[in-house]
Amino acid sequence: MFDIAVFLSLISLGYFVGRYLEKRHYHSINTREQALIKVITTNTKRPLGTLGKVNKVELVTGNAVISVDYFKRVAAGLRKLFGGNLTTYETLVDRARREAILRLKESCQGATQIINLRIETSSISQGKSNQIGSVEVLAYATAIYADAPQAGKQATAE
Amino acid sequence: MKYQARLPEHNSNISHEHPLKEFALLLAGLAIIMAALYWVLGLAVDYVVPMISPEKEQHWFKTMRIDKGASHWISQDNTISPYDSPIFESLRSCANIEVPLTLWQVDSDQPNAVALPGGDILLFSGLFDHAPSENGLAFILAHELAHFKHRDHLRSIGRGIVLMTVTGFISGDSAALASLLTPAGLATQAQYSQTLESAADALALEILNCHYGHVGGATEFFENMLKEQDSSAIAGIEQLNHYFSSHPETQARIDNIEQLRQQLGFDKGP
Repeated sequence: MFDIAVFLSLISLGYFVGRYLEKRHYHSINTREQALIKVITTNTKRPLGTLGKVNKVELVTGNAVISVDYFKRVAAGLRKLFGGNLTTYETLVDRARREAILRLKESCQGATQIINLRIETSSISQGKSNQIGSVEVLAYATAIYADAPQAGKQATAE
Repeated sequence: MKYQARLPEHNSNISHEHPLKEFALLLAGLAIIMAALYWVLGLAVDYVVPMISPEKEQHWFKTMRIDKGASHWISQDNTISPYDSPIFESLRSCANIEVPLTLWQVDSDQPNAVALPGGDILLFSGLFDHAPSENGLAFILAHELAHFKHRDHLRSIGRGIVLMTVTGFISGDSAALASLLTPAGLATQAQYSQTLESAADALALEILNCHYGHVGGATEFFENMLKEQDSSAIAGIEQLNHYFSSHPETQARIDNIEQLRQQLGFDKGP
């Protein structure tokens, strides 16, 4: 009886609080992505178009660790039995990836271009059962700070 | 090719289905599988149990028996000592149980009695406060003898193993899933156990009638329990708990015993 009460309160806490936090996080992600969209960000080895005088080049990183809530963990446990898309974990990875890139971009405000963007993922509770599934996403890239090109050329692909 | 700074309009990396919909669907699927497994294996237990003779049972559970040589021993802070009841042997022959059984008294406030596999019957001393008369106690003894006669302890063990196995197999290493499945399983188990209790009450009445020629005092214990429950403020919780309890609710049980008495045509006694 007591077990059920604990379980039900945990799962509803997970569901309602988890859902609210996720919604709020997505709202924050969307707003910040829109604000930072002007910075050219690519995974190419070389910068796009022509740059002016390059003042600084640096390695930048962004890192995010996100966890699923209790409800999603139970739902994922059920899904594991039947197989198929583990939809409850999709937002976990999506949020972590976008948050990591956003933190990377925020760490180099004023950069002209961000190139060579790479993303790595690792599981925090790797291999251990009975733990809340959480994921770490590390984004790293090269930020280039340069003056505007003299001839008024715009950045275009080579 | 110009670099275009644009965000995708639609996030196709995540599912847009309502999470509860998927959860309900998966849970329903799992419940059906589990119920089917439990039902089939439970029937298998019911099929096998009558084939185990009381002699074979006593042989199997020999190592679990309470040591007869000891005058008393202590288990989990409770002192257990042999209990001498002048009516027990007569009740046992009324129940047509041929193997010897041993009666033990456990010092505990709990009003409870248990029939253990192998032939030990434990009476928790809290019982004596609630069943002060000989007839009241006789019904409790008869009830435990009925459990033994019906092999309910073997059924409970069998079904318990089935439930643990089914839950264990399905939940695997997921503690969360196990905590979801176990209460549901226990509730099912409790419902099954309640039907066994009613059957044991019916046989207990027959045993009582065989010994005394009437069934007076049969409900004494439950009526005293009911008085105590009424005086406690947690009656509401008691009501809810009933679904997870292995025994029927007290008032329902008294009504059931009375109904059985009328059906069997036994004298109400003095």
